[in-house]
Amino acid sequence: MKRALARLCLVIAVCIGLTPLGTTQETADLRAAADEAKPIPILSGGAAFVPTWDSGDPTLVSIVSPVLLVPVSRNLMFESRAEFEGDFVRRNGNSGDFTGAIEKSLEYAEFDYIGNKYITFTAGRFLTPFNIFNERLYPNWIRDTQTDPLIYPIGTGSDNGLMIRGGVSLDPNITLNYAVYFSALSTIHHLESERHAGLRAGLFFPHHRLEIGFSEQHVLQDARVNRLGSYLEWQPARVPFDLRTEGTYSREEGDGLWIEGAYRFRNARASLLHRAQVVARTQVFHVGTVAGINPDLPTIDTRRTEGGLNYYLNDGWKALASYGRTFTAAGNSNIWTVGMTYRFVIPLGPAQ
Amino acid sequence: MKILRAFIFALTIAADVAYAGSAADSPAPISQPATASTPELNLRWMMEGEKRYRTNCGRCHQPPHKFEPRVMATAVRHMRVRGMLTDEDMKYVLYYMTH
Repeated sequence: MKRALARLCLVIAVCIGLTPLGTTQETADLRAAADEAKPIPILSGGAAFVPTWDSGDPTLVSIVSPVLLVPVSRNLMFESRAEFEGDFVRRNGNSGDFTGAIEKSLEYAEFDYIGNKYITFTAGRFLTPFNIFNERLYPNWIRDTQTDPLIYPIGTGSDNGLMIRGGVSLDPNITLNYAVYFSALSTIHHLESERHAGLRAGLFFPHHRLEIGFSEQHVLQDARVNRLGSYLEWQPARVPFDLRTEGTYSREEGDGLWIEGAYRFRNARASLLHRAQVVARTQVFHVGTVAGINPDLPTIDTRRTEGGLNYYLNDGWKALASYGRTFTAAGNSNIWTVGMTYRFVIPLGPAQ
Repeated sequence: MKILRAFIFALTIAADVAYAGSAADSPAPISQPATASTPELNLRWMMEGEKRYRTNCGRCHQPPHKFEPRVMATAVRHMRVRGMLTDEDMKYVLYYMTH
């Protein structure tokens, strides 16, 4: 496995090295036109209030997640995201006042250097590019279903280290995207990370709006487990429908998959419905061979199916409600969610 | 250790390529103004930009409305890294979102 990973790192670097470099006059003109607007620092991010009733016990989930983007030069950018989350539960389970601490975490604080059109170097603390949920779909204002997938704790989180990544157009119909990374062990409070190395590669077919990819990660500490993942994302051009699925396998930790479909009523006759989206997700998780190796995973085989409604009030606000049912050998339970999410963008300089 | 060595080796090769690529990508002498030189070219870039905006931005989230140009310039660079946009995608989307 180590050799295979080492070889893949090499092959990716060599392939990128062999890709022809060149610039046409029109590309140069387009760049000049696009570069007309000089980037400024911005404070972006999201906030969410999503009360959840899991097995009848309410949790007031409140999240504020600011994102700071600071362009240092034309090719260098600093970006960072913190998360402040309060999961307030009733003192006696189902009665009493709500209590709980606010958890603080630094999810990423990284420097990105855009080397050229094929390579971006990232150094610092970054989101682990294992499958796509962690990097692309995690923020509450983005995700269609508010609860985390059951397999989410496998191979995801934040890393401290180095990463090479990029998106390369192989031809007008295929785009390759890749990320190769190494993370060092850190036990510093709020900056924890695991020592591991991995890669993710995906092929995007823009005309079909279809992306497929895989992830591999090898842990270089403790049990030295291997993790494998794959994903698919499809958005047919003519129908406002999103299909996403991810699967993960780790012999020791467990395996599972989730599949989610979301349909937006953009073409409905009633304009009020244009902002509505129905979503359904089903997922399954099987425990691995080493019980308790990952404390964030379910301890028994679990299935869960959820359905919900999102309503986009405007570009920033989203109202949501969902219902789900969890099935385990120890019993079944309901999970209800209702709430609001908000996305904000604040320029930290003259925006014009 | 082998993985670490391979990663450092790959990083070195990538740095070489990045350096070479930067030289190749350095702006050619610009004979055109900063916006498209002809209405036809402007229309073509806008159409291509809109297509790529819908194809790429909508993959993860509901496509946002246009922000101010300098805000958009930062956001698109962020999405190039996060969303793995290609260099060409970034330029077309930025042109579309700022014109």
